[in-house]
Amino acid sequence: MSSLVVSSLSVSRGGLPIITEASLSAASGEISVILGANGAGKTTLLEGLSGVIPVEGGMIAIDGAEIQSARPGVRARAGLLHVEQGRTVFRQLSTEDNLRVGLHADERLETAYALFPELVQRKAVRAGLLSGGEQQMLVIARALLGRPKVLMIDEMSAGLAPVVVTRLMTAVRKLADKGLAVVLVEQFAALALAIGNRAYVMRRGRVVYDGDCSTLRRAPDELHRLYLGG
Amino acid sequence: MNELLTSAVAGLTAGGTYALLGVCAVFTYRLVAVVNFTGAAIGTAGTFVLIALYEAGFPLWPSVLAGVVAGTIVGVLVGLVMTTWFSEANASTKAAVTVALLVGMIAIGLRLTGGQHPHVMPDLFPGSAFRLAGVEVTIASALTIGLAVLFTVLADRFLNATRTGLHLRALSERPMAAELLGVRVQLLSVLVWAVTGTFTTFALMIIAPQRSPNFMTLSLLVVPALAAALVGLFRSFWITLAGGIMLGVVEGLASSFDGVSQYRGAIPFVVVVAVLLWSQREARWDDAR
Amino acid sequence: MMRASVRASLAIVVTAVVLGGALIGLLSSYWVFLGTAVLITGVALQSLGLVVGRTGMIALCQMSFAGVGAWTVGYLNIVGAPGGLSVWVLLGGLAAVPFGVAIGLPALRLRGINLAIVTLAFATAFDTILATITFPGQTSFQAVPRPELFDSDEGYFVFVLGFYVTIAVALEFVSRSRLGAAWLTVRHSERAAAAHGVSIAAAKLSAFALSAFVAGISGGLLAGYLGTLVSENFSMMQSLSLFAVAVMAGAHYSEGAVIGGLLVTMFPEILRRLGLPQDIGNVLFAVGATQALSTGETMSETFRRLARKLVPSRGPNGKPPQPASLPAPVMHAAGAALSIENLGVRYGSVVALDKVSLAVPAGTVVGLIGPNGAGKSTFIDAVTGFLPLYYGRISLEGKLLEGVQAHRRARLGVRRSWQTNRIAPELTVGQYLRLAADGLSDADIAAVLAWLDCPHPDTPVASVDAGTRRLLDVAGVLASRPAVALLDEPAAGQSYEETLRLGKRIAEIPKLFGSAVLLVEHDMDLVRAACSHIAVLDFGKVIASGPPAQVLAETVVKTAYLGVEAEEAAA
Repeated sequence: MSSLVVSSLSVSRGGLPIITEASLSAASGEISVILGANGAGKTTLLEGLSGVIPVEGGMIAIDGAEIQSARPGVRARAGLLHVEQGRTVFRQLSTEDNLRVGLHADERLETAYALFPELVQRKAVRAGLLSGGEQQMLVIARALLGRPKVLMIDEMSAGLAPVVVTRLMTAVRKLADKGLAVVLVEQFAALALAIGNRAYVMRRGRVVYDGDCSTLRRAPDELHRLYLGG
Repeated sequence: MNELLTSAVAGLTAGGTYALLGVCAVFTYRLVAVVNFTGAAIGTAGTFVLIALYEAGFPLWPSVLAGVVAGTIVGVLVGLVMTTWFSEANASTKAAVTVALLVGMIAIGLRLTGGQHPHVMPDLFPGSAFRLAGVEVTIASALTIGLAVLFTVLADRFLNATRTGLHLRALSERPMAAELLGVRVQLLSVLVWAVTGTFTTFALMIIAPQRSPNFMTLSLLVVPALAAALVGLFRSFWITLAGGIMLGVVEGLASSFDGVSQYRGAIPFVVVVAVLLWSQREARWDDAR
Repeated sequence: MMRASVRASLAIVVTAVVLGGALIGLLSSYWVFLGTAVLITGVALQSLGLVVGRTGMIALCQMSFAGVGAWTVGYLNIVGAPGGLSVWVLLGGLAAVPFGVAIGLPALRLRGINLAIVTLAFATAFDTILATITFPGQTSFQAVPRPELFDSDEGYFVFVLGFYVTIAVALEFVSRSRLGAAWLTVRHSERAAAAHGVSIAAAKLSAFALSAFVAGISGGLLAGYLGTLVSENFSMMQSLSLFAVAVMAGAHYSEGAVIGGLLVTMFPEILRRLGLPQDIGNVLFAVGATQALSTGETMSETFRRLARKLVPSRGPNGKPPQPASLPAPVMHAAGAALSIENLGVRYGSVVALDKVSLAVPAGTVVGLIGPNGAGKSTFIDAVTGFLPLYYGRISLEGKLLEGVQAHRRARLGVRRSWQTNRIAPELTVGQYLRLAADGLSDADIAAVLAWLDCPHPDTPVASVDAGTRRLLDVAGVLASRPAVALLDEPAAGQSYEETLRLGKRIAEIPKLFGSAVLLVEHDMDLVRAACSHIAVLDFGKVIASGPPAQVLAETVVKTAYLGVEAEEAAA
């Protein structure tokens, strides 16, 4: 049973169609990886899903309930949480206050600290002063405390050192194993495919590949071609 | 010497009002990113509800309460206009909208209150609170300053110690990130407008007996209020508070000098120019553009 | 461009003569008298349109400037200055200019809101001062005399119409000039304006000074219209209400100013005749302004849109662009056009660029690639002067750029394109190129546009799609034939075929325009087609550089793009 079902979604930005008829799904306990070169429309896709920008057409459903015309806050409260790219911490707030912003009534801060113990000793520090890796952990943990059914993470590895990326990937896999549905938009294709279940590849706003991560992983030439062209 | 002190102290009521209005302006700017030109007009609307009820023979304090409620409602209405149609607009457009709303509010206000027709504004707090170096400090001035300090302290406590305050701080920094975490952004924004509506109404009620209670004159108290907010660079509550009181005191002082007193109204302009020249020593690129 | 200005000016003059003649010939003196008020308000609105509509700043003391003009005219009348009203009106306009500059200066930088606050404060101050000093002749009942020739109501109408038309025509020419394009660009994006070499301070200040001049004239005209004035004519409330009308009607259009004048003058008249209170007018202006701000469309723009629907346009006017030859390349010195040594940028604790060294030799195209967040855009920002602080040395043809402001760097020959669309939609394609490259002939502009498959110069930018706007951005950079062109992802939004074609074009830039190119791009096919040399940025450091084929095959590059396990995955 898929937690998130998206069918024939179209999104425009500034009058220019960016996403055309994209369909995908994410199931509880699984990671759906969305790959593609820059400008393929991955970020716009997530923004359409979470409501940052309005969608032109198509359907988005969380556990069967359609949400494509709801405000972003409503979609978040329905269980679709979006971790934007660029590590959007509240820079002036402390780490702990950041975690509290979206805290679900039945959720406790310990859940976040259990996932990323690194944050415990930084909890009184202003989030703007954290390192890039810590900020990324913070935004993921922050979204997690909102009790999501589906967690969408955009470009979490951008600009981070490999060792940190590995750490984050492991944590995300752990979340999925506990029953969360994860949508992971990534540039670091290899690592994402290693932890992912289902893979989608986007090109010029369309989903051009839909299959298992393991299949795509065994075809590095195909991957290379998608990324560097030629 | 004593004469100077007397005129300085006489400016304290106005100073306290400017301070409170200025702090409200900073509150609105910091939390919902609007430079609000309707601030004083919102309070004026509430004040005139009080005047109307009082003139119609209703008892004073229930009328005050009704006036404060009315001011709060007007604040909420302005807030609804801003959040419904202009939540995504840039700061400049939002400010332009509040200017347009100010024009409309003054027109409606003048119409409903009979223009320059004189009104009886009851002095809510007559009398003197205490003597300072032989000079009477009125209850009204002590109260406005006290209220401004109270608002600043409360705002500070509220923002830093409550969950709603936390949401507001998150909202002010990154509205979209807050909304994506499920924060009820629209509701909170309207709450900000309601709170500032309540406080400005009360401030206006205290200063109204000192001014000609005319809808336009009172609405234009937004000028010294924004000047005070600018002193605090639209950031610091305490500096804004000090700036507002200082403005009032300087006005009071100016009124004791012949040849200067009739130009009192130009003082906020002088302050604004001075602050702007001082604050733009360094060039900066507008973040948004 | 000149032709368009002349055509528009002729239209204004003919319309004014026909409508003005009809008004005088057909209607009674009373209506002519009201018509004069419409035009005087129209002049004040034109002055406001200049600031509000063109540069996007909020000005709330326009009637105070008018008051300065009126006061000056009154004073010149009392002292018996020579020249009569027409000269006095001009002097009144000039008298308002120093006030405009003095108020504009403190508000140039930081948030644009500052101008709103300072102008409102000035309007209050002016109210108090005017109430105290009163108008010259106000107490002695010495009216300002109209010129003998224009003494009657009809005559004075013609007098005012002359001023209105002259100002409208002058503004028409200014708005189509490079300065006018600079104003619109400043409104849209200050950074983009600076990247074209426009000084933001000069652009804003010139608009504000000119606006004060025109407002001063409107005050002088009002002095002649009413004879004697009182301070209420120029009160702050008048300024505020004028602002609402300007926003509602779109006062930066010549018809918008007249529509606004009609609203201000006729609304109270209609309400009076209907027996309704006249101050309802301001409520409607407030609602209209709010509506215009929320839809982003003023009354003038609505009328123009409807008119275009009714009368389908014949497409861009003028001849189709001839396959003219490109403007001659500007010869730049051989050697390193751009040289960067140990460039470092930090944002707080984050190191965005770390000791980056890179040279772009004259006559070459160098590519800068790397994954998201590698620091490529930061690099361009640093080189073009949009970062307040960086470490290291950036030099253009051997000249160190340390401490040189962005618009000065642009003038020296460091030009850039943008990832996000920053072209003012109100411009035409031709006007945009003229802003980017001063002094090009129409044929040159048409040739540069044709070379990059951009639309005809008369096409409004608003009707150009996002992908083509990027090309237009590039065309602007190239038309100025700079020493170095920094192109930030020009191929985004292009189809595959277009991308390949663009790659070939970019490779030709050094030969055809004389400019060295630094190309930031994600599309590797484009990079292969265009660049002779590439550098790869990762975590703010250059991790590889050399010929494209060789660099793209390096393991370290694949790792940067595909992630840490690329080797294992490939193995």
